[in-house]
Amino acid sequence: MKERDAQDLESPDKWEIQLRKGCLELAILAALWEGRCYGLEILRRLESDSDLIVSEGTVYPLLSRLKALGLLRSEWVESDAGHPRKYYALTHAGKRRAIEMSKTWTRFSTSMGKLLAPLAKEDR
Amino acid sequence: MTMAGASEEKSGEKIEAYLARLRRGLRSIREEEVQEIVEELRSHIMDRAGASGEITAAAVDATLAGLGGPEELASQYVTDNLLARAEVSRSPLRILRSLFRWASLSFAGFCVLLGSAVGYFFGAVFILVAMAKLFHPRTAGLWTYPDSNGELVLSFRLGFERVPVGGHDVFGWWFVPIGWVTGFAIVLLTTSAAVWCVRRYRKSRVLP
Repeated sequence: MKERDAQDLESPDKWEIQLRKGCLELAILAALWEGRCYGLEILRRLESDSDLIVSEGTVYPLLSRLKALGLLRSEWVESDAGHPRKYYALTHAGKRRAIEMSKTWTRFSTSMGKLLAPLAKEDR
Repeated sequence: MTMAGASEEKSGEKIEAYLARLRRGLRSIREEEVQEIVEELRSHIMDRAGASGEITAAAVDATLAGLGGPEELASQYVTDNLLARAEVSRSPLRILRSLFRWASLSFAGFCVLLGSAVGYFFGAVFILVAMAKLFHPRTAGLWTYPDSNGELVLSFRLGFERVPVGGHDVFGWWFVPIGWVTGFAIVLLTTSAAVWCVRRYRKSRVLP
C-alpha cells in the first residue's frame, strides 16, 4: 500500500491532474467574469484561454454545484440554433469568491515562483 | 443546424437513449431539477455535435463519449444534490442518507456516518426510555444493579421486564424531563456536527 502511495506521488501525470482539478472552480468563475456564458462556451473558453482541458462530464455537475452554492445564477435563453441554452452568470457572492480565489492564487504562485527560481536556472 | 439524412434517426435514438439512462440515474433528485439537467445536456449535445453545421452520427458518438457514461454523470449530480440537501436539512433521516453516499466515497465520510449513527442512537435511546417511563413509571428509566459477579451495571430499561434484584432507579420520575432534554440535545448536536462536516466536505470537494 505504501509502495503504491509512493508511486502515486511520484507520477507527474496524477499530480498534474489533481492540480488542474483544483484550479477548475477558479477557472470557471474567471471565465464568467466578463459576462454570461452557456456550458459549451465556458468549455471553449477554458480550452482557448487556459491550459485546462476538462471533460464535459466534469464541467456540467460543477456548474450545477456552483449554482447551488449561490456563486452562479442561470437563465434559459432561446438561440438561433433552434434550441434554448442555459446561460450562467456570476452572482455578487460569486464575484467576491472569484476575487478572493484570484488573490490567493497570485500570492501562492508568487511565493512558489521564488522557491522554484533555482530549479528554473538548472533546467536551462 | 440539421441532422444528416440516413443517420438522423439513429443519432436521435442514441441521444434519447443516453438521456433516458441519465434520467434513470437521477431518480432521487426532484423532477424539475432532473428536467433542467436533461435539457441542459440535450442542448449541449446538439451544440457540440452540430458544431460543423450538421449533426452526424460520428459527432454524436464523440460528444456522448466526452460526457462519459450516463450513470457516472448522474452519480456526480446525485452526490452533490444529496449533500446540498443535507446542508439545509434538520432531518436525521435525510442527513443519514447523505452520509451513506459520502461514506461510499471516502473514509472521512465513513467516520462521520459512524459518529452520527452513534449520536442518533444514543439520542433515540434517551427519548424512548423517557417516553417509556410515562407508561412504566416503576420499571423504566436508568437503572443500576449488581451483575452475577457483584459489579454494578448501568442500564437503560424500557420497563417491559421486572426490575433486577438489588436494582436502583437512578433518577426516578425525573428521568422523564432529563431523558427528553438530553435526548433532543444529543440529536441536535449530532445534526449540527454532521451538517458542519458535510458543508466543509462539499466546499472542498474536487470532482473525480
